[in-house]
This record gives sequence, structure tokens and C-alpha cells, in this order.
Amino acid sequence: MKKVLAFVLSLAMVFAMVACGGNTTTTNNGGTTNNGGAATDDGSASGDGLNIAVLYYNYSDAFISNVRNEMDAKWEELGITFNNQDGNTNAGTQLDQVNTAIANGVNALVVNAVEASADETTQAIVDAAKNANIPVIFFNREVSNDVINSYDKAAFVGTDPAEAGHMQGELIGNYLLENYDAVDLNGDGVISYVMFKGQENNPEAEYRTQFAVEDANAILTEAGKPALAYYDSAAATQYLVDPNGSWSSAAAQDYMTTVLSAYSEANGNMVELVIANNDDMGLGAITALETAGYNTGAEGSTTIPVFTVDGLQAIVDAINAGKATGAVGQSASGLAEAVATLLQNYQETGDLMSNTEGMNVDADVAKIRVPYTTVG
Amino acid sequence: MSQESKDLAAKAQKFSGKQVGNLLMNNMLIIIMVVAAIGIAIYRPGFVAPSSLINILSLTAAYLPAALGIAGCIVLTGTDLSAGRCVGLTACVSASLLQSVEASNKMWPNIGTLPVWLVIIIAMLIGACVGAFNGFFVGKFKLHPFIVTLGTQLILYTLLLLYVQMGNNGGGTIGSLDASYTDFVRAPLFSIPAANGASIPIPRYVLYSIILAAIMWFIWNKTTFGKNMFALGSNEEAARVSGVNVLLTTIMVFALAGAMYGWTGFIEGARVAANNANTGLNYELDAIAACVIGGVSFVGGIGKISGIIIGVIMLRLIFVGLTFTGVDQNYQYLIKGAIILFACALDMRKYLVKK
Amino acid sequence: MDQPALLEMRGITKEFPGVKALDGVDLTVRAGTVHALMGENGAGKSTLMKCLFGIYSKDGGTIRLDGKEVNFKNAKEALENGVAMVHQELNQALTRSVQDNLWLGRYPKVGGIMVSEGIMAKRTKEIFEQLEVTVNPKAIMSTLPVSQRQMVEIAKAVSYDSKIIVFDEPTSSLTEEEVEHLFRIINMLRDKGCGIIYISHKMDEILRISDDVTIMRDGTWVATKPAKDLTMEEIIRLMVGRELTNRFPPKTNKPGEVILDVEHMAGRYTRLKDASFQLRKGEVLGIAGLDGSGRTEVLENLFGAMTREGGHIRLHGKEIQNRSPKESIKNGFALLTEERRATGIFGIRDIKENTVISNLKGYLMGGVCLSDKKMREDTDWAIQAMHIKTPSQKTQIRSLSGGNQQKVIIGRWLLTKPEILLLDEPTRGIDVGAKYEIYQLIIDLANEGKGVIVVSSEMPELLGICDRILVMSGGQVAGEVDAKNTSQEEILTLAAKYV
Repeated sequence: MKKVLAFVLSLAMVFAMVACGGNTTTTNNGGTTNNGGAATDDGSASGDGLNIAVLYYNYSDAFISNVRNEMDAKWEELGITFNNQDGNTNAGTQLDQVNTAIANGVNALVVNAVEASADETTQAIVDAAKNANIPVIFFNREVSNDVINSYDKAAFVGTDPAEAGHMQGELIGNYLLENYDAVDLNGDGVISYVMFKGQENNPEAEYRTQFAVEDANAILTEAGKPALAYYDSAAATQYLVDPNGSWSSAAAQDYMTTVLSAYSEANGNMVELVIANNDDMGLGAITALETAGYNTGAEGSTTIPVFTVDGLQAIVDAINAGKATGAVGQSASGLAEAVATLLQNYQETGDLMSNTEGMNVDADVAKIRVPYTTVG
Repeated sequence: MSQESKDLAAKAQKFSGKQVGNLLMNNMLIIIMVVAAIGIAIYRPGFVAPSSLINILSLTAAYLPAALGIAGCIVLTGTDLSAGRCVGLTACVSASLLQSVEASNKMWPNIGTLPVWLVIIIAMLIGACVGAFNGFFVGKFKLHPFIVTLGTQLILYTLLLLYVQMGNNGGGTIGSLDASYTDFVRAPLFSIPAANGASIPIPRYVLYSIILAAIMWFIWNKTTFGKNMFALGSNEEAARVSGVNVLLTTIMVFALAGAMYGWTGFIEGARVAANNANTGLNYELDAIAACVIGGVSFVGGIGKISGIIIGVIMLRLIFVGLTFTGVDQNYQYLIKGAIILFACALDMRKYLVKK
Repeated sequence: MDQPALLEMRGITKEFPGVKALDGVDLTVRAGTVHALMGENGAGKSTLMKCLFGIYSKDGGTIRLDGKEVNFKNAKEALENGVAMVHQELNQALTRSVQDNLWLGRYPKVGGIMVSEGIMAKRTKEIFEQLEVTVNPKAIMSTLPVSQRQMVEIAKAVSYDSKIIVFDEPTSSLTEEEVEHLFRIINMLRDKGCGIIYISHKMDEILRISDDVTIMRDGTWVATKPAKDLTMEEIIRLMVGRELTNRFPPKTNKPGEVILDVEHMAGRYTRLKDASFQLRKGEVLGIAGLDGSGRTEVLENLFGAMTREGGHIRLHGKEIQNRSPKESIKNGFALLTEERRATGIFGIRDIKENTVISNLKGYLMGGVCLSDKKMREDTDWAIQAMHIKTPSQKTQIRSLSGGNQQKVIIGRWLLTKPEILLLDEPTRGIDVGAKYEIYQLIIDLANEGKGVIVVSSEMPELLGICDRILVMSGGQVAGEVDAKNTSQEEILTLAAKYV
């Protein structure tokens, strides 16, 4: 008995050590913590003297992780001292982090707002920055114009949430026009589709869900084709949403296999188009299709077109392998680049927006739009 | 008929009437499940087509192992909140070790592709270590499992976040899996020919889940460990004065549960084939819900493998049924929540002591 | 005394915080004999056995088994070394089957990990046949009546093939027939050369079955004598022992007119079958009886904490219902519960909160906020009136001694201005000095015109402070005696009336 216990205990120890070991490795690799000491030494970098707090809405988001890596690299390149924080999808936590960072003496805030759609929370962040007289740059999740305009040292860098939907709609519409008969498996002249929304009450999810279909329909009807039809005409909502609201591949996979269990080529009602609001859900749907014998990428197999938003490496691989059709890509590096430019502007002139040449800036408000790209 | 025998008959009638009532109450969930299934089938006949039934079977198989594991913790009057993150960690580890060599951002480019069996062992071992860690704190320091696993769950999340940042991955989604892995998990076991000429494949993980359920049934009912687990859950003091090693049994129950999460992670890694730090989120809640629906009581010492299977099927039926009927997606939480409450109230009814 | 000593316990001492539970107790059990261990509730019998069995660790003394010194650290060691025990509280896994319980901790194995149901069933059958037990081995424990569960527990203890078997009040839930059955089993074990330790309150049983008798009182050894030399009166005298002078304050209260009249009260789910009695103003009414006789149930049914099946309660001649504790409090009742730690105190909260908790409504200002000043005043009153020894109002109640805790709770109830106080074991776990203060308090309350009902398992206490004593037996009132003109013997006889 004692031996078994000792074994178990030692396992627990190893587990704890792995935990610590893992920590050190990644800290060095990813630079997740404050490592400005070394960076400021090289002196030449233009960001010298900046000490910023970077607040992310959720570390587990694949796209945000990508942004984080890009930003970390950028800060190190510029010699900016930085401190990353995970809001873990909790707006209250994030506000606490803001206040702590200010108390800690940072001289700029870079915020990926957890609750971007509620002005009260973002305004609280801006007010905190205002009281400390430091600039605050929001990124990725869009905050309202009123909030940005309430403080001359506030700015937003991100995409236009509607744009992704519009671009995806355009991508889908054009693809369908070119390949209409091939996509229309049952030859009834109508393309049936399934839409994976990701989360309720998220502005990006809402816009993407709405415009991807509307814009594709616009292109189709202009060319004399009928509009897209949701695969289940009797459904109360024209989309499927992750029960956990986490845009997860597992939820999309479960939904897709369930859909495929009733809708098939043999029944003449196969789903002919998959639209996913992020890469992960697209990948989950592809896995389900693969299991059912579609989208294997093999010669002669039928491919159901799958369109996603984010355009990260995993979906690019899938597109190259013939498993996915297209994606609207958000540029993580573009985002990091733009935020860094604003910080440098502030450093040099005291005004965030002093040099925004070549950038896509909104009228009347300090908002910079990093364009989406199309992949595939 | 004499008066006496009439009385007896009346008594028997009354008795059996009460019995029938009890029988109905005790099987209420199955009855509701069948009625709901018939209802959906009338509305959408495709619901009971072979392809749909196999889909329900597959989904059940995917979610069963985690529930089988967590059930042991519930039998000990505990719970395990670390299950979801443990699934996430082991899924990401499994997937990263079994990416195909051509993957453009292969997380560990230098390891090639490991043999599948080795990765299964690694995943289950990680899970078992996490479980043993939980069990040690529960058994040694008499902490409630809710608190212990609340802590471990957070620790695991950090490990998971750090892990997906490692190598070439940079926090992205781990996909592009090797065929040996996806085939091992998803390749058709065999296909059932459907009426209209198509064939419906049954994925291999269904078989694995059936085997696991059989193994767990064996462990629960036929081994010393299983019997000690139930005795411990039923009355810890009785187990102690009878000479059961309470600490070791507790550690083993949690370690076994952890190994099950490891297995689930391994399967999910290939079943979904897109793994990131989000993978496994809230799996424990579904697993706990399945257990309590299936009659694994939080009172302790009570539970059956068959009940857990029914619980998992029930939850998947809700999911599939809602998708089939196209019910407003906003209502799925309400339906799930109501069924969990109803099931637990039905269960507790048996243990209420009247004063 | 010709048989060799199998078990020798010498000078066993055990202290709990504030209480010396065992003080140098000796016990010698010879092989092939039944040794009865007797004493009032709280005399330390169960504690002594728990020290033997490794459930408690003793603070001093030696235990020799077969001449070798032993010191079991846990139950497992005791069982492995031939000491088994039938516990007073049934410690069983109720959701499991009879045979799973029987072999728990030592399942017959095949292949290292598998339990052999076959061997288990065979051995169960053997032991049940040997002991003539007719319980279905596959039945789930919780579906069996308590007496059958008790027989399973007895079979389990026997099945260890132990040299020493302890029976701690094994007959409390057995029928007469089953008691005979148990005695056959005990005689068989004795003939095999086992040493049996038998704890019971039932005199006739003791005199019938035992060879030697050891009597304990207040955690000390009093006497060990051969059973044939003892009579029931002699045992009772040794158990009670002390003179009853000066342990109780002078009885100055004068009972007045009847204020409470209870007729044929019975419990729906509990064992109270039929209780009728009256309580007078300024009277202390005692309720005596064995454990499980329905003493506590009388109070809890009266207070509405248990569901009543029938009967009438009249307060000042007016019928009242007392359906719930809340309603009872409104009607002027207050209940001091039996398990002070479990159902009386809020351990980690302070004296003030513990004092005012039942009377919060009385401190409301404007219907929302509680007046801290009033609460402090009332707590001060309670501390003074009850003579509570505490550093301050802010002290956590669990850090006080048992007696002071009890005084806080009595104070709590007095703040609700009750007319009738129901006190369940008010002096349990309290040292002798503090008991006197509680007695004084009870008599003072009666002097103020309140009606007090006291349930106690300590008979001298009832004789010392009560005016009348109601004796419960088997859920019914077995008789009512006048405290001044009765004896413990009379009460014990009544208490055994419906057993």
C-alpha cells in the first residue's frame, strides 16, 4: 500500500514539476510576461520608455492567441515593456486588470475588450485611462464611437465587423455563380446551406450571420439565380449556435453529423454549402463531412463548399488540401502593426493619430480599420 | 369467492396499484424519453431513420467515457470539475503528437508521428495523474472534491494555454492529423446499407466506447476496488471500520476517472480534429448532468453503468431532437435545465426522510 | 476464575477537551466467558471499547491480548488481531447488499482484483447457516428492518473468527425472539473459547447471560464481580453509587394551575405512539426512558419539528396546532435540542449572534435594519442573567465550554419570552459544576412561572430537579411518578414496561 501511495505521490510531484517546467519554457518563448528589462537595454528602439499593459479578452481564442504572438514580437522589436493579461471572458475581471495596471504605473493601455458592445464597461475603462492621463487603444472587438470620442487619447484598431460578413457573402456568391451546377447536388436549382453562428448576442457573430447570406443572395439574384435556402425550412432560427457560446469545433462537429444523419444525397436533400463564422467551427464541420465521405480531398470525391472567417493556418491547410473552399482572413500582424504605429505616434508627438498615413481611418472618430483579406 | 379472499384480492390489487405507480415513477425518464422520441419521429420521420439512430449512437459513444469516469467521483458523493479541461489538455497533446508530417505548422516537427498506442498511453496517463492528484487532496485533506477540482481545473487551464503556445503552434488550432490517428478513431467499423442505396458508416470509436462501458461495468461490479468504492460512497465510516483503505480507494477512483478523460481527449482530438485551448470546455457539466439524469446519486453509493448510458443518450437526444425539430436555439438551455432538475428531484424523492 | 485472561485492560485513561471520559479503568476478560460491562449513560463504556478497537487512541494505560501488549491504530488492525465489535450505531453501507456489507474490507478475490461472488455467496451461506440467520444475502441493506441489519452486523463480527467480540447494546432493536437467537449465538461463541464483552442496560439479560460483571461510573471502574453473586438491586446501587445530596439546588418552585394539556399525541413517521400528560405553571416535568423510547419525540412532536399523526394540544384550555417550529415559537414554546453541536449552536459565529438569532424580529428598525444597540443590550442581559463566562460578546461560541454554550442557547430562547420551555438533555457533555448552574437556572425559570419539560437519560438529574417524572417506554407513556416519592428502581422498571 505504502509503495502505491509513494508512486501516486511522485506522479503528483512530476505533474507539478511539468507544470512549472512548462511555464518557464513558454515564458521565454512567447514572452508572456514583463520582459522589458532586456529590451530597453538596446536603447535604439523607438518604443523605449513605454510601459504598457495589454489586456486580452480570452487567451483560449485561437485568433487572439495569434494576435498575442504577433504583438509580443512587435513589442520586443520596439523595446516596449509590456504586461499581458487574460480577461477570461469576464468584463469585471478586465476592469480590475485595467485599474491594477494603472496603479502599477503603466503609461499606455492596449485593450481587447471583453464586453465591447456595452458602452458602460468600455467607458469605465476609458475613464480610468483619462483619470490617469494615459492613452488607451482598443483592438479587435469594436467599441462605440461615443466611447472613443469621449477621450482624445482613445483609439480603436480593428476590422469592420460587418465587413467580414460582406466579404464572405461576396466570396460565397461569386464562388457559387462559377460552380453553380456542381454545388447544386440534387439539381433542384436551389443551394441549401447550414450556418454556424458561434455565439448569441455577439456583434461579430450577428453581422457575419446576417451579411454572409444577404450579400451572397444579392449576387445570386442579380445573376438570375434563386436565393440560398436554409437546409431546414421549418427551423425557427436560420443558424446553429454552440451551446457553450464558445465558437467550438466540437459543437459544429456534433451539429453537422446530426444534420448529415437526416440530410443526404441519397435523400435528395443534402446540405450543399457550409458557412461558419470562424475557422474552428468550419474545421469541425469538415471533420463531420469527412467522416460521412465528403471533403476528403481525394480525387473524385464530392466536396461541399465550406467558408469560414479568420483564415488561420489550419484552415489554409484545409483549403490547400481541397477540404475547405474559402475564408475571410483577419490579419493578426496587420492589427499588431497598426496598434504599434499608434503607440509610436503617441511616443513621438503625444497624439495617437498623428501619423496614420496609408491607414484606413474612419471619419469623425479615431478608428482604424485593418482590412480583411480573402483566402483561397 | 369468500369475503376473506375478496379482501385479500382487494389488498393485492391495491398493492400492485402502488407497485405500478412506483415502477412508473422509477422509470419516468425512460418513459419521457420514449414519448419525446415518438413525438419527434411523428413530426420528423427522419429522426428514427437508421442514419439518425446511428448518429445518436455515435454522439452517445463520444460523450460516454467522460461520464463513466465522472460517475465514480459522484458515487463517492463528490464531483469532478476538472474533467473538461483535462479532456482539452489530453486532446491537444494527442493531436499535437499525431499531426501528419506534411502539416504546414506541425507543432513538434522533429518527432515525426508517434505510434497511436503510445499516444493513447500518454493521454490516459496524463489524465490518471491529474485524477490521482485530485484524489490525493480529497482523500488526504478531506477537502470537498468540488473545491479540489475547482482548483485543478484552473491549473489545467494554464497548462493547456501554455501547451498550445508551445512548438510551432503559437496558440492556434491543432489540426492536420495523421491518417493513422483519424483512421483509428473515425474509420468505419462497418457500414449499414440504407434503403436508397447509400451506406451509413459506424465510426470505430463507437466500438471502443462499448468496450469501455463493458470494462467499467466489470470494474464497478466485479472487482474489490469497485465494491470498496460503493461502500465508501455509501458510508465512509463503515468502510473504514471494516478495514478498507479509504485514501487509496479515493485516489484510485479519481485516477480512473482521469484516465477516462484522457481517453475522451484522445478520441475528441481526432473526432473533431480541430483542437485548441477551447476544446473540452464544459464537458464536465454534460458528463455530470448525464450521470444525475441516469440515477447516479449525489447521495453517494448509488449508480449503474446502464443508468449512465441512458443519461448520456438522453442528453444527446435533447441535442439531436432540438436540431431536428428546429426549435429556437435559445430554448435549448431551458429544456436541458428542466430535465436535469426533474431527474434529480425524481431521484431525491427516494431518499427523503420524513420526520 | 479458572479460565486464563484473554484480554487485560489496565488503567485506561482518555480525555476529551474539558472532560475526563476514562480515568484508570481496568477490565479483564477470560477466555470462554461473557463479561458484562455496565454503567449509566455516559459512564464511559462505549469510550472504553472504542479505545480497545482503535477508533479512539487512549491517553494512558495498557492493553494486553493473550499476554502480548497491543495498541491498535485503526479498526483494521483490531480486526486482523482477533478483536471484533458490533457497534452500537449501525455502521453499514445501506445502498449495498447484505453480503457486500458482510465481506467489506476482505472480499474473497480471484485473479488478484476480481471479487468471487461464488465464494462470497458460499461463505455467507455457511456463516448464516451456522448462526441460523435467515436474511437474504442479496437483499439491499436499506430495505431490511433494523433488527435484521443488526443480525447481519452480528454475523459479520462473528465471521472474523475473533478471539474477543464486543457487543455494544446489541439488543436495543431486537425482538424477544431475536434476543433468544442472539443468546444462542453468544453461548456458541463462549463454548468455542471466545471472550465476549457485552454492554447492555437490561438487567435481566445481564444476569442471564454473563459470567462476570464490571460496573463503571463517571469514567471510573467501580467493581468487577461474578454475575452469580449479584442481584439487580446490587447492580443498580453500584451503577448509581453516589449520594444525591448537594448535587442539586434546593427546589423552591411551586407548581400552579395546568397550562398545557396534551392528549394522545402520536407521530406520523416517528416512533411516538401515544403520549398524554399535563404541565403546570411553575412546574418542572421530567421525561425519563431508555434510548429510543420516544423521549425526544415527545418534545419534537409537541414543538412541530416532527409531523403529528393525531392527538390534541391545549394551551390554557385552548386547542393549538403547533404545525411548525415557527408556529410553536409564536405560541410561546421554546425547544433546546438534544445535539447541541449539531442543531443548537452556530459554532463559528459569536455570542451575540447566537443569542439573538431566534428573536431577530424584535430588533427591526423600520422593518429593514437590525438595531445593533438593542442586540448588544439583550446579549448583555443574557450573559448576566445566565452567568455566562465569556471574554466578550464577540467570542466565537465554539470556544466556550459546553455548559456556557448551553447557557447561551437557553438565553436565546428566553429572549423569545416563552411560556413553555422544552429542554432535551440540557446537561449532556457538561461537567458537574456547570450542571449545577443549569439546574439552578431551570428551577429559577419555574419560579418565574414558566412550565419546563426536561428530557434526560440521567435519572438522578430528573429526581433532583423535577416535580413529576413521565416515564416513556416503547413510544408510550409507561407511567407517571412523583419525583419526591420514587426511586431509580421504580423508574427503570417502568422504562422496561413496553420494551
